[in-house]
Amino acid sequence: MSDKLYKIYQDFMQQGIFMCFNGPLSQNLMVEIGETVKQKMELAEAGTSRISKVFAIMVEQAQNILHYSEEKIPDRDGAGAEYELRFGIISIGYADDHYFVTCGNRILNSRVDTFREKLTQLQQMDKTELKKAYKEQLKKGPEEGSKGAGLGFIEMARKSSKPIEFNFQTIDEEFSFFSIKILI
Amino acid sequence: MENLNIAATKHTPLIQFNTETHILEIRGRSYPENTFEFYEPVMKWLKEYFESTSNTTTIDFEINYFNSTSSKLFFDMFDLFVDAQENGSKIVINWEYDEEDEDSEEAGEGFQEDFDSLEINLVPK
Repeated sequence: MSDKLYKIYQDFMQQGIFMCFNGPLSQNLMVEIGETVKQKMELAEAGTSRISKVFAIMVEQAQNILHYSEEKIPDRDGAGAEYELRFGIISIGYADDHYFVTCGNRILNSRVDTFREKLTQLQQMDKTELKKAYKEQLKKGPEEGSKGAGLGFIEMARKSSKPIEFNFQTIDEEFSFFSIKILI
Repeated sequence: MENLNIAATKHTPLIQFNTETHILEIRGRSYPENTFEFYEPVMKWLKEYFESTSNTTTIDFEINYFNSTSSKLFFDMFDLFVDAQENGSKIVINWEYDEEDEDSEEAGEGFQEDFDSLEINLVPK
C-alpha cells in the first residue's frame, strides 16, 4: 500500500500537480482549498490576474461537483440536501508555462450526449462568441431545476487560455466518468 | 423600514443597506453554495426599499470575486434597479475594482453595456 501511494505522489509530481483532492466535497472544504491554492500561487508570484482566473475556475468546477455529481451519499432521493455529500476529484497544477485545473465526477450516461454537444460548441468558439453566449445565457436564465445559472462551463471557457479539454469514460450501464481540463 | 446588515463570510459579501444615509453597500466575495437562496432576503429588501423611498440611493459594489451564479444574481439585481428607476427612484451605482484585476473591471464594463439607462461609475482602487 505505502509504495502505491508513493507512485501516486510521483505521478502527481511528474504532471506538475500541486493540489489534489478526491472524495466527498463540501462548500467549506472548497473555500479552504481555494484559499490555499491562492496562497501557493502568490508565493510563486503567479500574478493577480492568473491567480484570480485559477481560483474562479476551481470554484466553478468544485460547485459543479457539489451540485451535480452523481456519486453521492445517501444515494436515495429526498433524504435532505443538507445531509448530502457529493464526490469528485479536483487537481490543480503547473506545467509547460500554464496552470491547469482539472475536475472529474460521475454523471448519468443519459447526460453524456448533451454535455458533449455543449462542450464541443464551447471548444469551437472564440472569445467574442463566448462573451455573446455568456450574455445570452444571462438573459435566458437557468433551466428548470438547475441549482446554478447555466453559466459555469461558458465562464470556464472564457477564462481559459486554450480550448477546453474534456473526456467521458463509461463506468457501467448507468454512469460515466466526466472530466474537464482548463489551462490558464 | 429597517436597515439590512449581513456580516461577510469567506464566500459571501458584507451587506450593509442603510435607510437613513441611502447608501447600500455590497463588499467582499460572492460564491455561496446556494446563491439564489442566500440573496433571496436581499432582493426582497431591495424591492420594498425602492417602493418606499424617493431619495437618491447610492449603491457601492466592491466585489473582488463572484462566481457565475452570482453574476446571474447581480444581473437580476441590476434589472431590479432599472425597474426602480423607471418608477421614479434616483440611483447611482459605483462599481469599485482592484486596478490589477482585469476580470473585475471587465465585469463592471459588462454591466455598463447591458444597463445603459443606469448611472454606473467604474471606480479603480
